[in-house]
Amino acid sequence: MLPDHLLNCRAAGSAVVPHFLAEHDHFWLRSLLEEYERFVGRPHRELTARLRQPLPCEAPPEKLKLAVEALLRAQRSGRTSAPVPPRRARAMVFAEAAHTTETSLAVLSRVAKTLGVTVGELRDSLFADLPGERLVEAPSRPVSAVELALRTNLALVQRLLFRVKALRVDVEGHTRPLVRHAKWRGLICTVVDRAGQGGASLEISGPFALFRHTRLYGRALGELIPLLAWCSRFRLDADCVVDGRRRTLQLATGDPIFPATAPRQYDSRIEEQCARQFRRAAPEWDVVREPEPIAVDGTLIFPDLGLQSRSDPGRRWLLEVVGFWTPDYVSRNLALYRKALVGNLILCIDEARNCSDGDLPPGARIVRFRRRVAPAAVLRAIGQVTQHIPG
Amino acid sequence: MSTCIYLGALARLAASITLISSGAVRAITRLADPVMKLRFDRGTILLGEPPSGVNLATAPGVLWDRRVRAFRAPAGKYAALKHWLRAAGVQFADIASRPRSVADTWSSIDLRPYQEAALSAWELAQHRGVVALPTGSGKTRLALAAMRRTQLSALCLVPTRVLLDQWSRELAAVYRGPIGCYGDGVRRLAAVTVATFEAAYRHMHELGGHFDLLVVDEVHHFGGGLRDESLEMAIADSRLGLTATPPRDGRAVTRLGELVGPTVFELAVADLAGGFLASFDAMTLYLDLSSEERTAYTNQSAIFTAVFATFRREAPGASWADFSKHAAGSAAGRRALAAWREMRRLLSFTASKRRALRSLLGRHRDSRVLVFTADNDTAYAIAREYLVMPLTCDIGRQERDDVLQRFRRGDLRTLVSARVLNEGLDVPDADIAIVVGGALGEREHVQRIGRLLRPSEGKRAIAYELVTRNTVEVGQARRRSRGLVTRSSPQL
Repeated sequence: MLPDHLLNCRAAGSAVVPHFLAEHDHFWLRSLLEEYERFVGRPHRELTARLRQPLPCEAPPEKLKLAVEALLRAQRSGRTSAPVPPRRARAMVFAEAAHTTETSLAVLSRVAKTLGVTVGELRDSLFADLPGERLVEAPSRPVSAVELALRTNLALVQRLLFRVKALRVDVEGHTRPLVRHAKWRGLICTVVDRAGQGGASLEISGPFALFRHTRLYGRALGELIPLLAWCSRFRLDADCVVDGRRRTLQLATGDPIFPATAPRQYDSRIEEQCARQFRRAAPEWDVVREPEPIAVDGTLIFPDLGLQSRSDPGRRWLLEVVGFWTPDYVSRNLALYRKALVGNLILCIDEARNCSDGDLPPGARIVRFRRRVAPAAVLRAIGQVTQHIPG
Repeated sequence: MSTCIYLGALARLAASITLISSGAVRAITRLADPVMKLRFDRGTILLGEPPSGVNLATAPGVLWDRRVRAFRAPAGKYAALKHWLRAAGVQFADIASRPRSVADTWSSIDLRPYQEAALSAWELAQHRGVVALPTGSGKTRLALAAMRRTQLSALCLVPTRVLLDQWSRELAAVYRGPIGCYGDGVRRLAAVTVATFEAAYRHMHELGGHFDLLVVDEVHHFGGGLRDESLEMAIADSRLGLTATPPRDGRAVTRLGELVGPTVFELAVADLAGGFLASFDAMTLYLDLSSEERTAYTNQSAIFTAVFATFRREAPGASWADFSKHAAGSAAGRRALAAWREMRRLLSFTASKRRALRSLLGRHRDSRVLVFTADNDTAYAIAREYLVMPLTCDIGRQERDDVLQRFRRGDLRTLVSARVLNEGLDVPDADIAIVVGGALGEREHVQRIGRLLRPSEGKRAIAYELVTRNTVEVGQARRRSRGLVTRSSPQL
């Protein structure tokens, strides 16, 4: 996490605007990366001392400090290279010195002789494993100026969010990874009614945030930011404390933030298999990965797949695979589906789940399966009722 | 659920008896409401299925959480909440009870008279409060006795991984049951568990519902806002705080009182030195700067003082943290802060301190000596120059244990450290402390001197402080020595 004094942003009314690194910063970022590469194999303290000095080209000082910090934090801690393993050198030298009145040089000479190295090599070995003495390593894969800019921006936003207690996000597409990560981190995700607009509007906060402004969840909330880059549209609002004043941070689609690794396309192998086989068996249907979520009871449910007829846009089905779920999760989710009263739902239920008919949402088409969902069974379920869903 | 059915039947029966008063029917009908369920939910208490006719918003700490459409309270209010519910006659299903440690898993623990007195004071304060005892006087033992006597499921919070090991070892010596551990990469839960502050902060949402007794070592780290949530997210009603240096600042005292309880017992180094703690002589050596050092110091001091004096005039009661924040906002302020850092660097290991240290190490070469510095760089400089083993945060756990073992055996006679030896670590029997520099004031000084106070036959320890004349160090030395004299908390 970046230290506070590196927060490079400005106040604009009640908002806080981060000074993002953009394309015009790439030339000095390239210079920074070249400087880093020059120090590969040299002690970290030399690199950090060098990076405190100006670059060969002009660079905005505040942005430079931020990028240096982001660069150093992203790198490995360095390797130790010493003629004598440092711990062994310390054990021998300090034990020898404890029981003699000789000078330090005499002690070092005697130990060096025992170890078969010079006094200089022994001195160099003594603390070669300290963080500042470790040797700078080349990055495991090349880092470009573009990536460094995006990573720096992400670090800046995450630092701003560190003291935030809640986020409000309007989001379209790839909502599921966001909600899933929030829940995994123990956050509460509430759906706010958007009165007929597309996508979902979420408020994300931690349970304890009800009682006071806490930093408990800042890190977890910050982890959601790189996931937003995968949403087709988003807008985020958060109340940050900057310079002792509460200000709003806004982010939106297109802001230059480093993205998370691509979210998993499917939740399970059964679901993936089901989508693949259905596409093959029913080319007249489009299989939509992550259709729009359904808001119910202040939360969202995410059907696994959408089935969209190519010939008739009104024919649209939502498909949920109830596979390797815990009994609690099954009953909670089925209760939500019952409440949601979704008219175009197909529930594919693993027979091993032992769901009785009474547990199932009224009106849902049921496909029971063992090990894999057969496309033919789904098509049969669709064939039972031809439902036209507006829009 | 059976309680529900029973109460429902009871209400129906009562209503069918025509002679019964209408007030009684109302009372019994209220009893027939579904039983409210208390549930520990990630550091809070959720109140499920609340009865009608009871305004839960007036219960201690309870707020309506619109996110989940339920009433919620911080877990720290659990005991007060239960008390309130009982007083209001509200039926509720409690959180599942925590497993207790069993009497025969504990060995007997002998206490010194002052430890016994401290424990009694804590018990009289209804198992809530802070015990302040000097370093080396056996605070851990006192806590173990409290755990044994109450036999409650207990979570012990400690500031560092070093202390995590140390507490686990001391527990294992008197407790034969499984010992849980949270921290240093381990997550293991048991009825008696030790956790680092960091692990507790990260995991209290799952740990907080498992314990009835919270023991907080070095409790002065709490009360300032940072990580206080760890204590607020635990349901434990019994709480014991341990420290050698209770906070004196009014705000921290009040906050710690809410989180753990008031100071219930306090003794200072002077109260125990010469008896249960070793006697010691405190010697301050006043040293000069060389002319080059003085010139450099005066120049930096002028830059710093110009800004600092103005700030003090404008904000007389402000703290150093306020000044840092204020100074970071302007170029002149940042220069002043840089000058301050340079002054500290200049004073950290002056030529006079070098000479004095050489002389003192020579004089006490047969004793066990601890050298304390203001920062790691000075510790390494001393290690290189005088070939003494540094013990810093950069030295790994195995090597650190090995070093302490060798110091205990006498294979190593001198250790130099900036912070690692300050707090908690059970350093064996040192005779001489040489304070070359310090950064954290009274609290740090008391903890450092405490390293010398393990008593032994005929022992008289010496604590040297190297202080540079006509510099900020003179005032710092005066302030930090205050912590060694007897001073009672205002709560006592």
